[in-house]
Amino acid sequence: MPDIAPASPAAAADPVAMEVFANRLLSITEEMGHILIRASFSTNIKERKDCSVGMFDAGGRCIAQAAHMPLHLGSLLGAVRSVLEHTPASAMRPGDAFICNDVFLARGTHQPDITIVTPVFCDGRVAFFAVNTGHHSDVGGPYPGSMSQTARSIFEEGLRIPVMRICREGVLDEDLLAMIAHNSREPVERTLDLRAQVAVNIRGGELMLRLVAADGLAPVERAIADLLAYTTRRLRARIAALPDGDYAGERWMDSDGLPGGDPIRLCATVRKRGEDLLLDFAGSAPQARGAMNVAGVALEATCYYAVKALLDPDLPANSGLFEAVRISAPEGSILNPRFPAATAVRAITCNRAAGAIFDAMSQVVTPERNMAGSHDSVPLLLVSGQRRAAGSTGTYVYLETLAGGIGARRGADGADATQVHTVNSSNLPAEALEIEYPLLVEDYALVPDSGGAGRWRGGLSLARQISSRVDGSLITARGEGYVTAAPGFEGGHAGGLARLRHNPGTPAEKPLPTATTALPMAAGDAVRIETPGGGGFGDPALRAPEAIAADILDGKVTRGAADRDYGISAVAAALANWKDPA
Amino acid sequence: MGAARRLRIGVDVGGTFTDLALVDEATGRIVFHKVPSTPADPSQAIETGILGLLQRAGGAAAEVAFLGHGTTVATNMVIERRGARTGLLTTQGFRDVLEIGRQTRPHLYDYAVTRPAPLVPRRRRLEVAERVTADGAVLRPLDEAAVAAATEALLAEGVESIAIGFLHAWRDRRHEAAARRVVERVAPGLYLSCSHEVLPEFREFDRFSTTVLNAYVGPRMARYLDRLQGRVRGAGITAPPYTVHSNGGLMSVATAGAAPVRTCLSGPAAGVIGAAVVAGQAGFPDVVTFDVGGTSTDVAVIAGGAATSTSARDVAGHPVKVPAIGIDVIGAGGGSVAFIDAGGGLKVGPRSVGAEPGPVAYGRGGTEPTLTDANIVLGRLDPVALLRGAMPVDAAAARAAVQARIATPLGLSLEQAALGIIRVAVANMGRAIRGVTTERGYAPEAFALFAYGGAGPLHATEVAAECGIPVVVVPREPGTMCARGILLADVALDFVRSEIAPLDEAAWAHAATRFAEMQAEAEAWLESEAVPPDRRDADRAVDLRYQGQNFEVRVKLPDAAATLDAVLDSFAQEHARTYGYAIPGRTVELVNCRLTALGRMPRGAPEPPPAGGAVEAARIGLRDCYFDAEIGWRSTPVYDRDLLPACARLAGPAIIEEMSATTVAFPGQTVELDDDGNIVLRQPARTARRQELTAHA
Repeated sequence: MPDIAPASPAAAADPVAMEVFANRLLSITEEMGHILIRASFSTNIKERKDCSVGMFDAGGRCIAQAAHMPLHLGSLLGAVRSVLEHTPASAMRPGDAFICNDVFLARGTHQPDITIVTPVFCDGRVAFFAVNTGHHSDVGGPYPGSMSQTARSIFEEGLRIPVMRICREGVLDEDLLAMIAHNSREPVERTLDLRAQVAVNIRGGELMLRLVAADGLAPVERAIADLLAYTTRRLRARIAALPDGDYAGERWMDSDGLPGGDPIRLCATVRKRGEDLLLDFAGSAPQARGAMNVAGVALEATCYYAVKALLDPDLPANSGLFEAVRISAPEGSILNPRFPAATAVRAITCNRAAGAIFDAMSQVVTPERNMAGSHDSVPLLLVSGQRRAAGSTGTYVYLETLAGGIGARRGADGADATQVHTVNSSNLPAEALEIEYPLLVEDYALVPDSGGAGRWRGGLSLARQISSRVDGSLITARGEGYVTAAPGFEGGHAGGLARLRHNPGTPAEKPLPTATTALPMAAGDAVRIETPGGGGFGDPALRAPEAIAADILDGKVTRGAADRDYGISAVAAALANWKDPA
Repeated sequence: MGAARRLRIGVDVGGTFTDLALVDEATGRIVFHKVPSTPADPSQAIETGILGLLQRAGGAAAEVAFLGHGTTVATNMVIERRGARTGLLTTQGFRDVLEIGRQTRPHLYDYAVTRPAPLVPRRRRLEVAERVTADGAVLRPLDEAAVAAATEALLAEGVESIAIGFLHAWRDRRHEAAARRVVERVAPGLYLSCSHEVLPEFREFDRFSTTVLNAYVGPRMARYLDRLQGRVRGAGITAPPYTVHSNGGLMSVATAGAAPVRTCLSGPAAGVIGAAVVAGQAGFPDVVTFDVGGTSTDVAVIAGGAATSTSARDVAGHPVKVPAIGIDVIGAGGGSVAFIDAGGGLKVGPRSVGAEPGPVAYGRGGTEPTLTDANIVLGRLDPVALLRGAMPVDAAAARAAVQARIATPLGLSLEQAALGIIRVAVANMGRAIRGVTTERGYAPEAFALFAYGGAGPLHATEVAAECGIPVVVVPREPGTMCARGILLADVALDFVRSEIAPLDEAAWAHAATRFAEMQAEAEAWLESEAVPPDRRDADRAVDLRYQGQNFEVRVKLPDAAATLDAVLDSFAQEHARTYGYAIPGRTVELVNCRLTALGRMPRGAPEPPPAGGAVEAARIGLRDCYFDAEIGWRSTPVYDRDLLPACARLAGPAIIEEMSATTVAFPGQTVELDDDGNIVLRQPARTARRQELTAHA
C-alpha cells in the first residue's frame, strides 16, 4: 500500500509531502541567498544584505523566496512577468539569462535594484525560473547613489535596463556587462556583483533539477500546487475570521518630495468580503513631482507585507498569498504613477502606505495586534567624497538608512530605534564608518521625548550627528515625518517629528531642507538628523507609575514632558514610590 | 594500585541532566554516568555525579588527575536575566549604542517580536568626555574627574559590576586603562570589565555588548566557581576544575572568572570538539555534527578535522563576539509537538513539551503528540520502557494521541500519521544541515553525518538520506558526547588585535610585533595555567579583506615566520574557495591578528570494545518496527550495543540500544562497528540513488 495515495492529481493535498517539499524548496532559496551574499562584493549586498532571491514556476508564480527586504518581492514578481511578456518560454534556450531594472519597461520598483531571471529547463521545456535582485549602490545619474528625492523623472535616476539577455545559451554577454558597469561610479563592484547574481541563478537551477531528478517532475509540480493552495487556504481562514465590511485608513506625508509642497494623503480602504480582501487606494494623492512615486509591483509587495504582518507573520511567502488579496490604485496617483515618473525613494512612500493599511486594519484585527503609528519612513544619510586611504583613488559613497520609533502595541511600549515595514537593513558601526571614511560620528543616540505618550509609550527615534574631517564632502539627507507625525492609537499621543540641522549646538546652527542633496561640507561642518518617533497607545492617564518613573530616570522622557503628558502629581507620586527592579 | 591510576573526568551540565564521562588514562576504559541537574546550584549535581561516577568506575577521588566541565551558568543567567546589577561607562555621545544595536527587528513580519532590553538600563549607562579617533589620535582627553563622579553615581545606584566601553579602544587602550585605574581607586574590589581586554576588535556594538555581558555574569559566575571548587575539594579531588569555553578549549577557574563571557554555550562546543576527535580517529575528517536532544537540534561543520568557527553568535539576543564554534540550533527534538495548522498543514515544533509534562508516552500528563511519541508508535523506540528499563512507556497513550490529533483530522492511518511526523521533523533537520554547510561554502554530500544526543542516532539515516549524505557515524554512548568531548579538549585561549591597514611589508612587520606581544601574553597565560613547556603550542591566523570590503576572510598562518607573499597567496586561495573568485592586483587589507594559545592535553587511546565475539550474543530481542510506506512493518532484531564486539558487521533492519540512545538501521543498510566501537551506517541503494543524482549535478 503506498504511503499516501491520491486517487488522482486533483485529489486532496498531501500535507506531509507538502511540508517536506516546502523545506527542500526553502533550502534551495536559502542556499541561493547564502551564495549571493557570499559571492557579491559590495557592502550594500554583502553586509547589509540588500538583496533577495526567489524561485518561480513556468507560469510565473512565485513558489519560494528568501527575502531580506519585503519590498524586493515586487522586483522579483515584476521581472518575471516582464520577461515572460518579452520572450515566450518557447523562445528561451537553456543557458539563457535575462537582466532588467527599469520601472516602466520591466516593472522594477526603482532603478538601483537590478534583477536577473534565469529559465530552468526540464524535459525540454522551461519548468522554473530562478530569480534574484540586488540593490546596486550606484547606477549612474546626476548624483552619487542614484537616489535623489528631487529627481523629476526617471531620466534623472540612472541607467534604464529593459528586459535583455545577459547570457545566451551559457555565454555571458561581456559587452553588455561592461556597458552596465561603466554607467556606475563603481564599475568594479557592479561587475563582481552582477557576475555573482548570474552564477547564483545557475546554482539555483541545478538544485531544482536535483529535486526533480530525485522525486520526478509530476510529483514536484503537484507539491507546488499543494503548497500554493495551502498558503491560500491558510490566509483565507484568517481573513474569514474577520467581520465583513469596508475599513478606511490613512497616512499623511510631508509633501510629494519636492521643497515647498503641502502635506499629502495616502488612503487605504480594506474591503473585506468572505474570504477575500480588496485593498483600494482610491483617494490617495496624485502622482508626485519628485521621486516618491510607488510603481505597481512595489505597491503589491507593500500590500503582501502588510497582510502577512497583520494576519499571519509565519505564512509562507509565495504566490498563494496573492490569491486572496486584490489591489487597486488609481492611475496617475502616487501609488500608480504614469511614465516617466521618478521612483528612487519609493520605499518611504511604501512605508507610509503600509501605515495606511495598518490604520485601516486596526479596526478589524484582534486587539493584541493593534498598534499605534510607527515612523513609517526610510531616513537616509548619504555622504560622498574622495577616498582618503593611501594608494586608493576615486570616490566613495557611504549610504545608510536610519531607524526610527515604532508604534506602541496593546500591552507593550513601542520599540526604540528600529526599522519598519518594508525595510530592515542594519546600521554601519561608527568605528567601521570612521575607519573607512573621513567622517566623525559625534552623536548616535535615542531622542528623548520622541515617543508619543500613552498607556504604552511610542518608541524613541534616533539621532545621528556626523561631521566631515575634510573639505568638500557632499551630504545628502532625506526622510519623512518632518511635518506629519506618527499617530497615536486609542488616546495615545503622536510620536515626535524628524529634524535635520546644520552645525547643531554652534552659533552657525540652522535647519536644512528636508530633502538635502549633495550639500558641500567644509572640514568641521556637522549635520544632525533626527528621525521620527512612534505613536503612543491608550490614555496616558493609565500608564503604569513605574513605567513613568523609569522613563524619567532613564532620560527617555524629560521631567517637563512627563509633567505635561502624565500630570504633575502622577509623576511626582510615581517617582516617590519607585523602586529599581534590577 | 590506586596511586598509579590517573582518572580524567568530564562533566556536562545540561538543563535536565548532568552527564559525566570518565576515562582511565592508562587503559582508555571509559565509564559514563548521568544524574538529574540541580539548577539552583549546578555544582551540587556535579558533586553527586562525580561521586556516583567514581563508584561506578571503582575509582577514588585521589586518583582524579583532571576534571573539566561544561556549564550553562552564564548563559542561563542572561536568558533568565538574573545577572549582576551592572553599570556602563562610555564615550560621550554613545551611551545608546547598546540599546540601538543593529537597529533591525528580529522578525521581518512579526512586530510583536522585539529586541531584548539591554542588560544595562539607560540610567546606568553614563557618558564621560573623551574621544580617540580611528587612527588612534586623542581628539579629546579623558576627563578623569568625570570617571570618578560617574563611578560614585553608579555605586549609589548599587551596581555590583562596571563595564567600560570607549570608542576605538580596540585601537588605543590608554583611555580605557586610565578609566580602569580611576574606577579601581573609587570602587576597590568591584567587578570590572574593559572592552579592550574582553574583545579588542573594532565594531563598537559587538564589543560593548560582549563586555557588558561579561560584567553582567561576572560576579555570580565567580561565586559559582568558588562553590564548585569547594565541592570538588570537599569530595577529595585535588585536581583543579577546568571550564570549557565557546571555542571548545579549556580554561582554569581564574581565567573563567575573569572572562566568564567565554563560557557561554560551552557544553555544545565540547560535543563538537569531541566529535572532531572521535570522527577523525574513525577516518572521517569531514563531518556534520547532528546533536538531537529533547527540545532542539544542534548542527555544526567539521572540515579537515577542525570545527568551523563563527563570529556571529548571540545569547538571548545579545551579541557575544568571542571566538566560538559555529553551531546552528533549530527547535526540533524528541519533545517537539506535532500539530495541524490553520491551513491544514502538519507541523512539528518549534514548541516543545520539555521535560514536564513530556511526551504523551511518558505518562506525566502530556496530551500533545511529540516526535518521541511517533517513534514509539512505529516501534523505533522501545514501546515498553526506555533508559534500560528504568522508564516505563505507555505506548497505547501515544497511539491514541497520534490517532486523535493527527491521523483522524488528516484522514491518515496511524502509521502514516506517525511517519508523517517523523518525515516533517527530518525535513526541518535536513534544512538546518544544508544551511550550516552551504552557508560556509561546503556541499553536504561530501560529509559524513556524526550523530549524537539522545535522539540523533534515531533519525540519522533519514536525515542523511534527505541531505544526500552517504555515511552515518554514531559514537559510543551518544547521549553523553558533550561530557566525553571535554576529555578530548585542550587548554586554549584566544587572543586578538585589530590592526587595520593596507597589507604591505611595513604593515606585515607591524603585525609581527602584534603577534610577538600576543605570544608573550600567551606564554604568561599558559604558565599561569600550569601547562608544562613541552605541551605549549600556538595557532596563528589573520583576518584579511580586499580594500572596499566590509567583511573578512580568515587565513591560517603555518608558523610565526610566514612571509607576506605566502599570506597574500593563501588569502587569494581562501577567498576563491569561500566566495568563488579572487581579484588579482587589488589591495588587501589586514584587519585582525589572532593567536590561540594551546596547552595540549594527554588524551589516551580509548579502550576498544572486546573483539571477536558473536554478533548473535548481543541480540536481546525482536520487535515490530515500521520503516516507511514501501517497507512497512518489519520484525526487527534488537541489539545491546555494549555486547556488540568490535568490527562486528550486520545488515539492517536493526535496532541498537544503549543506555543513552537508540540507533535505527534501515533494511538494506550495512552496519559496521569499527575498532573503537563507533557504529558506521551506510545508506541502502534506495537513498544512494538520491546521492548519485546529487553527485553529478
